Amino acid sequence: MGKSAGTAVGQKTFAEKFKSRKVQQMLVIVTFLFAPLLLLIVFTYLPFMKMVQFSFYNMKYIGPKKFVGLANYVDVFNRPEIFRALLVSVYYMGGAVVQLGLALFFATMMVFKVKGESVFKAAMFFPYLICGIAVGFIFKFFYARGFVLDSLLQMFGMSLEDIPYWLQDQSINNFALAATSVWRYTGQNMIMFLGAMMSVDNDLYEAAALDGANNWHRFIYIILPSIKSIVVLNLILSISGSLSAFEPPYVITNGTMGTGTYFVIMNRLAHENQKVGLACAMAIVLLVIIIICTVAQKLFFAYVFDNGTDDESKAAVRKRKREERRKNAQKGAAV
Amino acid sequence: MKTKKVVALTMAAVLAGSLAAGCGGSGKGEAGGTAVELPTIDAIKLGEDYQDITASIKILTNRTDVVDTVYKGYAEEFMKLYPNITVEYEGLTDYEQSLNLRLPTGDWGDICYIPTSVSKSEMSEYFSPLGDYKTLDGIYNFLADKNYNGLQYGIPNGGTAGGVIYNKRIWKEAGITELPSTPDQFLDCLQQIKDNTDAVPLYTNFSAGWPMGAWDQYIGISATGDPDFMNNTIVHTKDPFARRDDMTGPYAVYYVLYEAVSRGLVEDDPASTDWESSKGLINKGEIASMVLGSWAVDQCKASGSTPEDIGYMPFPITVGGKRYASGDGNYAYAINNKATGDNQIAAMVYLKWLLEESPIFKDEGTIPALKSEPLPDSLSEFDGVEILSNNPSPEGEETLFDEVNNESEVGVNNNDYPDCEILEAALYKTKDLDTIMGEWNAKWSAAQENLGVSILEN
Repeated sequence: MGKSAGTAVGQKTFAEKFKSRKVQQMLVIVTFLFAPLLLLIVFTYLPFMKMVQFSFYNMKYIGPKKFVGLANYVDVFNRPEIFRALLVSVYYMGGAVVQLGLALFFATMMVFKVKGESVFKAAMFFPYLICGIAVGFIFKFFYARGFVLDSLLQMFGMSLEDIPYWLQDQSINNFALAATSVWRYTGQNMIMFLGAMMSVDNDLYEAAALDGANNWHRFIYIILPSIKSIVVLNLILSISGSLSAFEPPYVITNGTMGTGTYFVIMNRLAHENQKVGLACAMAIVLLVIIIICTVAQKLFFAYVFDNGTDDESKAAVRKRKREERRKNAQKGAAV
Repeated sequence: MKTKKVVALTMAAVLAGSLAAGCGGSGKGEAGGTAVELPTIDAIKLGEDYQDITASIKILTNRTDVVDTVYKGYAEEFMKLYPNITVEYEGLTDYEQSLNLRLPTGDWGDICYIPTSVSKSEMSEYFSPLGDYKTLDGIYNFLADKNYNGLQYGIPNGGTAGGVIYNKRIWKEAGITELPSTPDQFLDCLQQIKDNTDAVPLYTNFSAGWPMGAWDQYIGISATGDPDFMNNTIVHTKDPFARRDDMTGPYAVYYVLYEAVSRGLVEDDPASTDWESSKGLINKGEIASMVLGSWAVDQCKASGSTPEDIGYMPFPITVGGKRYASGDGNYAYAINNKATGDNQIAAMVYLKWLLEESPIFKDEGTIPALKSEPLPDSLSEFDGVEILSNNPSPEGEETLFDEVNNESEVGVNNNDYPDCEILEAALYKTKDLDTIMGEWNAKWSAAQENLGVSILEN
């Protein structure tokens, strides 16, 4: 070791270069990256490439495949049921907004001192730990005619005739299903928000309290601006999650009675009708839709919310500039 | 094939070695399996032939629930008749998987059920022929599946029939004296049940999905009386789902479903049905009928305190004055061709006794293996009903039905959703049955055209 440092004069030989700290560092990085990259490539990118390839074929899982060009994509856009399925996702997006609102509300409550805080936190987070299939079964019985929900409502004096058929009535069944995903993910969103809120400097609250700010002011002027990036992230994740909603409709209604989401239809085509190529094309179309939605949201939030600097939002910057201009104009007029 | 054999032999050798170390078991003597002169199963006279053979045989079964009780009882009964033969059962919880591993070793016992993974052409590698297909076909039921090159390798352990499970008490209480034989009669009966009792006339089990797909099982033999319909005719027919004037064919089956739903003769909320509890409800008489295969009869009987109320009737369609039901063989028994000659003969004697003399089919409520035997009590309503099995597809067209079926997305017997759509359409009154069947026909025709299937004029 000492030798390589000592002889580092003039032209370096390959061996010396190889032993140099920089190269060694690179080597270590590459070696350590090798395993995760290999896993990523083998289990994510290769299958994805294969999926892209399959989407141009007419094929089953077993048996020969036939190249059909863009026929599968044309087929995706010619099938009315596929885009009707995307409309079902709107219910889940609505659910996602409600879910974020609830999560923000609960997280804010927890930030201010509450008794039994950790119990609440655990209770709220718990649904996220249950696997989606189990959640589906829980709600299958929860919504079943005359079961949990109906009994509860009857306890409060409703008669069974006035209670809708939660899963059968097409005006309400998608709300019922979206509610299950709200139930499942609210706690998880809340914990993420809470984490971000915890990092807000306590001094800010104290200073605000001295200025006479109430809790609402603290939420609007301190908490929300500090966690805006995590809110945007959660919103993006929820929207793309809504587009690919699968477990609730698959387990609870099997996609029947007008609750089939895009994924449920895709699953049916791939596994029951063995149209693997078509299902792959559907997956890629969905990917494109999700990318478009994400980019659109990013642009939207970039304009509406912020990100001027850390201290003030763009809106604030615009407001300040406007006022400066007005003052300058006034000064100019005065002079 | 070759590697398989090599592996099999190596495994056999290894296992023979371990046997010598003292495992005991059945394969005494050479594990290689010399060609033995076997009798055919129809030639054996029970109780007379082979009384001098001494052997100990082992039978593999998937019925772990009864292996140590009922099946052991059969073995003991047989050993009274043949004191020199020892019969032992082994229950396997993961039957198919274990057999896939154990079959190639050659040392797994003497009698097993042929696992589904063994194709027709491979049967001769593992099993001894039991006789000539043509001869045996006159004696035993459901042989069509397990023969190759004219030799029969397996005989099914009885079979099940396609029909409708119903609660006899409720049907009687509703004032029904004669079971229906046409779709409209059946619907009238359901109406009568609705008017006169508190039971759900027909429980669809909609939310489980597969009970809806189960309706597809009746569109073949039950609805047409034609054993070629499912694997051949339907593939080459134009508009197979169209309404026929005599109310037969697939349309008639789906007509029962559609009308039952649209007339409100099914459960209140199909979206929240539960299969497990439905078995108890039909036993108690809160459900009057369910359209499911006869395999479900035993489960419904076992799920409550009034098993005697559970009955099973053929699907209500009459084709040209005759009633038909589809019968499917259960797992087929076969004999290990790697066992010693004495063991194989002893196994064949036991097999014959089991199929012909034991009370196994009565106990299991299945259609007996012997053609001469009467149907089980659970199928007493099937008297006069011809029970047929689907014929295999013609050579070269083995996969054609699956191809048309998948391509069209009608999904007969493999996709529950189209059947669910019939119920939805009837429930929400969005489409009538003729529209749905028209859509299916259109998809079917498009698939036939895409795949270049020839259409037979009829």
